[in-house]
Amino acid sequence: MIQLYNVSKKYSGDAAAAVKEVTLQVGKGEFLYITGASGAGKTTLLRLLYAAEKPTRGQILIDRQNISRIRSRQIPFLRRKIGVVFQDFKLLQSRTVYENVAFALEAQGKKRYEVSKKVYQVLKEVGLEHRLQRKPLELSGGEQQRIAIARALVVDPLILLADEPSGNLDQAVTFEIMDLFKRANARGTTVLLATHDHSLNQRFPRRVLTLDQGVLVGDQHPL
Amino acid sequence: MLDKIRYFILRALRNMRQWPFLCSASILTMAVALATVATFFLVVVNVEQLAARWTKEIQVVAYLQKPPATQKLAQLTNKLKNFPEVESVNYVSPAAAMQRFKKHLGRDASLLEGISPKLLPASFELGLHSAYRNQEGIATVIEQLENTLDVDDLRYGQKWLKRFNDFAHMLRFVGVILGGFLLLAALFIVSNTIKLTLYARRDELEIMALVGATMRFIKIPFMLEGAIQGLIGGLLSLVFLTISFVFIISRSLNSFWLTPTDFDLLFLTVNQQFILVLAGVVLGVLGSLSSLRRFVRI
Repeated sequence: MIQLYNVSKKYSGDAAAAVKEVTLQVGKGEFLYITGASGAGKTTLLRLLYAAEKPTRGQILIDRQNISRIRSRQIPFLRRKIGVVFQDFKLLQSRTVYENVAFALEAQGKKRYEVSKKVYQVLKEVGLEHRLQRKPLELSGGEQQRIAIARALVVDPLILLADEPSGNLDQAVTFEIMDLFKRANARGTTVLLATHDHSLNQRFPRRVLTLDQGVLVGDQHPL
Repeated sequence: MLDKIRYFILRALRNMRQWPFLCSASILTMAVALATVATFFLVVVNVEQLAARWTKEIQVVAYLQKPPATQKLAQLTNKLKNFPEVESVNYVSPAAAMQRFKKHLGRDASLLEGISPKLLPASFELGLHSAYRNQEGIATVIEQLENTLDVDDLRYGQKWLKRFNDFAHMLRFVGVILGGFLLLAALFIVSNTIKLTLYARRDELEIMALVGATMRFIKIPFMLEGAIQGLIGGLLSLVFLTISFVFIISRSLNSFWLTPTDFDLLFLTVNQQFILVLAGVVLGVLGSLSSLRRFVRI
């Protein structure tokens, strides 16, 4: 599903590369953690995967499509296969829960009846179907993150990328969120979760990639 | 397709409702900018129209060495009327000139008693078509007059005409320069206001790109929003313009001492009003488009 060959990313103005010579393969339906200290290159690696950045060197294949030199025009179509969840949720505060989730489907040009049906389904799945008309700021952090996950899942992505999704949440809520990721994974979505919270792996053991100063220093499979 | 158009329009309207302050700021900026440019245009048009009215007074008076015989008078009058530049011909005989003089003197007309009218020269007063009420037109008429009549003297308000021409040139020059500056300032302010409104909504643009919206899908609602705001701004500028016309332009021009009492001030024609509103729409769309280019990165 995801293949990286000697991928490096160096930002202009920076002395060192954020990601150095990373080679890895992730199979369809895998669930893996990307760990490492702050500044290890976790976020950059995820940004490379959803084409927010282009690699300075190397090749990236997503679902057999080489995205290393992808044209801007093709990026939206790549992103429709990928759901992204962030630590700060990135929700539109001026819109309701329904509108925030529907946004992802509308952006793909889906029909109205299709949108309302899918949005209701996915909100039910994350347990927020009763909050449809609320604005994000009226909800707790955990609920906001669940909306963000619903927005990522509503398009039935092949890949789900999560960048420190539990960074702002307490442990009980974090485990609820993890449950949602596991359920998405069970339906066949490949999940890559960047975190520095080791307790997640202890509770939900999965393959772990470890980055240190941009270099992939570990690739552990669960026993 | 219809579903998409409907979606884009609804999105544009919903965005405006969700950001009422930003939306009002854009509309007001466009309205004030357009009204300022249009007010300036109206002032220039009316002053030019006023200046054109003054040129109606321009005429060439040819004083003859001696009055023509009755038969020859008709011939000469016809000949003068056939000059392409000439609109009207009026022959003033010495007796008629004396009458005018007396009337002009009023109570002191008795001073002229015993003076023969033959003392005053006969003359032709030539009114000119509006296109020839300028130095070049008058020069052509004079040349033809000198070839046609035994002219003793010619009067056509040389100094006044020169001053008037200088004034008209200056008016046009200042009009173009100031109008150009105003338009540039308006464009600058409008595009910056729109930029600010989009800056406040950059999260929305970023999330749209993130969930796989195409460039076209992101841009169209914003451009539509710009067009709707421009339309409202254009209509509002017409209201502002009417107010400034009634309370500022007409009052100040009517109190100007050189304005004739029967002078009708010009307002924008229907076509010009349409152009003003259309300019608002174009301004809104271009402003959005140029700002989007800066904020939308996929």
